[in-house]
Amino acid sequence: MPSPLAKIRSLGSARNGTKVFIAQRLTGIALVPLLIWLILSITSLLYYTDFGYLSVSNWVRTPHVTVFLILTMSILFYHSFIGLREILEDYVPNHTIKIISIILVEFFIITMTVASIFAILRVALGDQ
Amino acid sequence: MAEFTLPPHSVVKKGKQVNKVEGKNVKQFKIYRWDPETGANPRIDIYEIDLDKCGPMVLDALIKIKNEIDPTLTFRRSCREGVCGSCAMNIDGTNTLACTKTIAEIKGAVKVYPLPHMDVIKDLIPDLTHFYEQYASIKPWLVTDTTQPPDREMLQSKKDRSKLDGLYECILCACCSTSCPSYWWNSERYLGPSVLLQAYRWIVDSRDENTGERLDQLEDSFRLYRCHTIMNCTNTCPKHLNPAKNISEIKKLLIERQ
Amino acid sequence: MKTYKRPRSPHLQIYRMPLAAGLMSITHRATGVFLFLGTLVLAYWLMMLAQGAEAYEQTILWSGLKSFIGLLVLFGLTISLFYHLFNGIRHLFWDAGLGFSLKSSKISAYLVLFATFFCAICIWALFA
Repeated sequence: MPSPLAKIRSLGSARNGTKVFIAQRLTGIALVPLLIWLILSITSLLYYTDFGYLSVSNWVRTPHVTVFLILTMSILFYHSFIGLREILEDYVPNHTIKIISIILVEFFIITMTVASIFAILRVALGDQ
Repeated sequence: MAEFTLPPHSVVKKGKQVNKVEGKNVKQFKIYRWDPETGANPRIDIYEIDLDKCGPMVLDALIKIKNEIDPTLTFRRSCREGVCGSCAMNIDGTNTLACTKTIAEIKGAVKVYPLPHMDVIKDLIPDLTHFYEQYASIKPWLVTDTTQPPDREMLQSKKDRSKLDGLYECILCACCSTSCPSYWWNSERYLGPSVLLQAYRWIVDSRDENTGERLDQLEDSFRLYRCHTIMNCTNTCPKHLNPAKNISEIKKLLIERQ
Repeated sequence: MKTYKRPRSPHLQIYRMPLAAGLMSITHRATGVFLFLGTLVLAYWLMMLAQGAEAYEQTILWSGLKSFIGLLVLFGLTISLFYHLFNGIRHLFWDAGLGFSLKSSKISAYLVLFATFFCAICIWALFA
């Protein structure tokens, strides 16, 4: 029977967590200008165009838009993943289910990130 | 997620109205009771006190109830002046010391519960063993490698001593840790604001030579990083300390040494 | 003598959550999750764009978004975005060590709430 102190000491400190903490803050800071840009762009598109296929795809095709869109989607998904992982770590009591759910969420987010980047590039580099 | 609701044996039932009192200044006290000898579910008993015949603090009322109305009411108390931390409990929804909480500032009936999300030993008494062991685990003493002169204290400048202000005054009442939702869900591994404040007290003490090791022991996604700056702790501290601020100072030190 | 299992003292059931602390914090988390779902919608929009003009015009996104529920969701997403953005900036100040006093945290809480509703209403007023 481990003593209360032994249970608290457990396997010792994992000596990590700071990098994730910094990443959450940095991605958050990066998202401030990126999202302001995205909101303003989408609002302009909605206000000044019919938001149809041609208007939107021409906008995506603009070089700086392509770059910012890829950056925004990737950083959004990364920031979301860190946040979701924290939520799962906080609220899922069973250790095994916690790890499995975090891995599943991670795989899903990586897939969505790749799919988004692919979609943006397909529009940007395509013919019409 | 069974954590958000109380397990069936912890659900609080209605108790009884224990006494009635006539007077101009009568206040109702609704107090959480649990008897370990019957094992029934916890209940809320209602007591009435004539405030004209009682001291100003909630602890005065609890002692009056125990002396004159119901001697089975059980709670911890000692100094009655807000320095020992024994009478920490949840009064009117907030964790505080019963001996420094005035009855007058509470509108309506005074609801008294034990500190939240703790195992209850009896009535208003929580089991603080784990909390104290977490405190021991951060090594709350000076660790030095340099040999110290045997006939003199270890010197510390006034500036360095002032860094301990706001940290040494902690009375380990556990109000802050038991107000933290993160500590509610993860108290096995998350150290909680009180212990982290004390950990910072030893990190920032200029006489201690073990800072690196102390930071290593804290740098863990559960021990420290369950803190999401919710800030319930600072809002509830009865000694007006700021655990949230000091936890963020620990995180800043960890970033600095990257 | 039989020993009975000790009960757990009530927590969420009885705790008076401070607005500037616990309530704002859980809202930050909830808006984060809601925004993640919004990011999935954003990704879906990009993927429909990548499918070509026909698929883009036909997608259920448009009928969905123009419906009452859709507009409600969109408004919710706008509020969530601004709330999460401004409260995130409040968090960044805390991470720098600033604004931790009870007074400052209350003032910053009200600033965040004001800025959120102000910006959300401004954007939507454009399209009224």
